[in-house]
Amino acid sequence: MLRTTLAGLVAHRLRLLLTSLAITLGVGFIAGTFVLTDTIEQGFRQLFTADADKVAVAVTPKDEDIPHEVLAKLTALPGVSGAQGLVRGTAPLLDKSGRAAGSTATSGISVEAGPLDRTSYVTGTAPGGPGEAVLDENTARTRQFEVGDTVTVLDLAEKRRQFTLVGLIDVGVDQHLAYTGAVGFDPATAREMTGEKGYHEIDLAASAGVSPETLKQTVAAALGQTYTVKTGEELARKLALDSNVELDYLVLVLLLFGCVAMFVAALVIYNTFNILVAQRTREMALLRCIGATRGQVFRSILLESAVVGLVSSVLGLLVGLGLGALGLAALGRFDAPVPTGASVALTPRTIVLGLVVGLLVTVVAAVLPARGATRVAPIAALRSQVEEQTFRAGLARSLIAGLLLAGGLGLTAVAIWVLDGNTGLLVAMGGGAVFFLGVIVIGPVLMSPLSAFAGWVPRKVFGVPGRLAVDNSRRNPKRAATTTVALTIGVTLMTLISVITASTRETVVSSLDDQFPVDFMITAQYGRADGMPLLPAEVPATLRTLPEVGLVAEMRQDDTGEIASLPDRAVFRPEVLSGSLAALTPGTVALSEPQAENLGAKVGDTVSLTTAKAGKVKVKVAALLGQDGLNGTMPYTIAAPDFEKYFGAVGPVRVYVKVKDGTAADVSRRAVEAALTAYPTAQLVSAADVRGEFDEAFDMMFTIFAALLGLAILISLLGIANTLSLSVHERTRESALLRALGLTRPQLRGMLSIEALVLGLVGALVGVVIGVAFGWAALQTIPNETVFIVPVGQVLLYLVLSALAGVLAAVLPARRAANASIVGSLAAS
Amino acid sequence: MTMTTDVRAAVVARGLSKTYGQGDAAVHALRGIDVSFATGAFTAIMGPSGSGKSTLMHCLAGLDTVSSGHVHIGDADITTLSDKQLTLLRRERIGFVFQAFNLLPTLTAEQNIRLPLEIAGRQADQVLMDRVVETVGLRDRLSHRPSQLSGGQQQRVAVARALISKPQVIFADEPTGNLDSRSGAEVLSFLRRSVRELGQTIVMVTHDPVAASYADRVVFLRDGLLVSEVTQPTPQSVHDMLLKLEA
Ligand SMILES: Nc1ncnc2c1ncn2[C@@H]1O[C@H](COP(=O)(O)OP(=O)(O)OP(=O)(O)O)[C@@H](O)[C@H]1O
Ligand SMILES: [Mg+2]
Repeated sequence: MLRTTLAGLVAHRLRLLLTSLAITLGVGFIAGTFVLTDTIEQGFRQLFTADADKVAVAVTPKDEDIPHEVLAKLTALPGVSGAQGLVRGTAPLLDKSGRAAGSTATSGISVEAGPLDRTSYVTGTAPGGPGEAVLDENTARTRQFEVGDTVTVLDLAEKRRQFTLVGLIDVGVDQHLAYTGAVGFDPATAREMTGEKGYHEIDLAASAGVSPETLKQTVAAALGQTYTVKTGEELARKLALDSNVELDYLVLVLLLFGCVAMFVAALVIYNTFNILVAQRTREMALLRCIGATRGQVFRSILLESAVVGLVSSVLGLLVGLGLGALGLAALGRFDAPVPTGASVALTPRTIVLGLVVGLLVTVVAAVLPARGATRVAPIAALRSQVEEQTFRAGLARSLIAGLLLAGGLGLTAVAIWVLDGNTGLLVAMGGGAVFFLGVIVIGPVLMSPLSAFAGWVPRKVFGVPGRLAVDNSRRNPKRAATTTVALTIGVTLMTLISVITASTRETVVSSLDDQFPVDFMITAQYGRADGMPLLPAEVPATLRTLPEVGLVAEMRQDDTGEIASLPDRAVFRPEVLSGSLAALTPGTVALSEPQAENLGAKVGDTVSLTTAKAGKVKVKVAALLGQDGLNGTMPYTIAAPDFEKYFGAVGPVRVYVKVKDGTAADVSRRAVEAALTAYPTAQLVSAADVRGEFDEAFDMMFTIFAALLGLAILISLLGIANTLSLSVHERTRESALLRALGLTRPQLRGMLSIEALVLGLVGALVGVVIGVAFGWAALQTIPNETVFIVPVGQVLLYLVLSALAGVLAAVLPARRAANASIVGSLAAS
Repeated sequence: MTMTTDVRAAVVARGLSKTYGQGDAAVHALRGIDVSFATGAFTAIMGPSGSGKSTLMHCLAGLDTVSSGHVHIGDADITTLSDKQLTLLRRERIGFVFQAFNLLPTLTAEQNIRLPLEIAGRQADQVLMDRVVETVGLRDRLSHRPSQLSGGQQQRVAVARALISKPQVIFADEPTGNLDSRSGAEVLSFLRRSVRELGQTIVMVTHDPVAASYADRVVFLRDGLLVSEVTQPTPQSVHDMLLKLEA
């Protein structure tokens, strides 16, 4: 029996090739995920270990920074041969136009040459004195600074200080520095520039003969419980562990897509084996006739699938190696803060996992077809013509499908109307998955009407080949359904993502429009102070003097973010639920709706406010306010004179500017920018800027998802090609007959292409419908009010692309069918 | 060898030879055959197994390429035509009945009958359609699919399909090979009648002397050569000739 199986494998090697490719790609994705993350992890470990070698003991604070005295005390400890304190604060770098770079202030750090220096220099050296600085290479690139340039950095008093750039550094995997950018000074200058009194870490080197462990004990004994003391090795392990948390998340997301690809591959395998079994009915029956038992037939098919699974999994591991390297290169291109230096490698875990998954999926997918093969009666060997498969939906199928569909809808309904937030979203997606299983089960029943629907136009347009093609696509509903459902998965997810992205984008944009009833917004750069950064108090007044500027409105709030002063009514347009804003005179307050609910207060009641200058004051409620698009309504809003009285002349959080009527936006913008030169940390953004940033982010996210789903879609196309080539093989004689009757080669090719087109279209139609429906459901679980948008153009594009992809998948099988000799095919059995 | 060209011949082959394979493995299936088939005649091709009957028919019908020689169907030399031209010629001028697997399983009997016309984009001649359907005796089976028809009925549908486009010639390769004698007789007398009543030209390959006796003329092949012929055949005369050839 083994010999027969192997001979069969060799005989069908071409047909199995496409199947193998499906598994190879699926396993490749999963293996690639691990290769990528293992390599990154390896890179982290190498990096941190290299650092650990330099440092014997590291002291880190538990909450406050480590004061300067501690450094002196540590330096004096026995066994310490060197000590270095690391300063980290903010030091806003100005770009070439003289404005603070980025929406968050650049980090200012200390860089000190010596044996304890862990900085990695791209070019140049550590700053050698108070007039020198180094800059991280990314910031240098985006802000166009080079070694030798003079850079300007704001000191604590916001005064411009100039430094000569003596080196560029790589901040490596430090997420914070990678985000803010970093400018490095010698320790004294760093303390001065950032205003930091202490250190966020102190590194110690041990004298000869003193082990890190011993030194650690000495240091711990000297410092007590206030600080965390670790050996260099322990520090490396902790850093590696921290970075792994984020890696785990990456693994999870990638594996999710890997599972989708693998599921699609399983469908392709299932279909292929089903067809192979159907085609070999006579072969099997012959085997049964000459005495093979059911068990032997079953095992021979499983064995066949195991061989296919094993071979393709091994190939998949190789593909994974390539994909891993590709992913790493992509991360490197986008300057992701991960180490990309380590060499990619297959770990034993990846190998075992890839082989097991590939093998298991293949064999499990082949179990049902193999069982079908055992049902072949020996008598089938004697029948001359393979019977047409007729399909009738059994009661069991209808029942299971009904349960799954209803269950999926039920879960989703619960998610929408009962649950909310993340659980809601998860349950809705779970409901979607269950519903989809139902669609897979009921698929064969839907296939015939859907093909008729999708084939309506081709049937009318393409004449006889079109009609025959549509008939053929409905011929074996079970096979067609499995083939198309693989594509449906990809299209569903693509549509889902499109709907969610488009809707979220629209929601954000429309709320931006609400938030931006103005042309520009000015905020202070983040990062310098804790809490909300404030603009200098005189900014609004300065802007009001400009002739190019229309309205200037300011938002002020206390440092708890609870009490706001009433801004200009032209930009502040909340829904007034009761009372009136006109009644908001000194001595009164307007409450936000949730705050009123909290306090159980209504218009006319008296509430008390805690203020900075006047202590507790009692005010009367003048109005209840609903949401305002601008930035939400603060719990308490009071009249501007009151605010000044209670909190003093604090700077505004935001200033809104409208262009004066009749002035061009860019003219006005230049005027505002000129007025702001005195305040380099003030950030000017226009509505268009913000929208552009959001658009970029959405496009990026969409591209990443699409790329990850691409593989699953590719596999499903392999499935279509596979099914078609097997069908072509089955219909060899039919094709020959048609050719004899006068169908030209192009017509025959066209016929198969149309069949593929119909299959692709049906798969996409179902996918689009489910995708849109569950996209809507997913949006309903988001607590904020979201608009629901169907990106019609995109969705239509998916339909067209799927149809075209089907045609593409049919190219090779169609060529084979058309080029076959008529006489040879007529003789074929 | 005299090269008489019968002006009323529907199909003429001159010096037709066909070799499969090359060198040592070469099989000379046809070794120079001159034959013509008269318009409006029913001709049978007979000969021992492997004598080249099917090969001859395939070459005559333009389904297979020839190694040398010429085949004329009407005024067209089909050995010089491209695949596209050949396909169009088959569509317009030739009908086929094969031994088995004649019908598309997805189409009904009627759709199968109309198929050649539809491929050619022609309208069915309703009078002819009625007459053909009447002659074949399948009126109540027209909406059935092939799987719901008996073997004899399927072959009759195939014959009806071959007739409907009024081809210059119908080629039939053992059309009754899979049928019992009663169904075989039905199909054969139907072919006979279409020659008499519709003036159809038919060339049929067969093993069966009884089937051959329905024809006007029987030509005999042996080892790829035309060796003999019998006109106005009876089962007995055909049988005798076969015995003589095999001796
Ligand atoms: N494709 C092919 N390749 C090689 N040899 C072939 C091929 N087709 C036919 N032959 C050979 O050509 C010769 C004639 O074959 P053909 O099928 O024409 O015989 P036949 O008279 O129709 O036989 P039968 O009565 O068995 O159908 C035989 O020797 C056969 O083996
Ligand atoms: Mg033959």
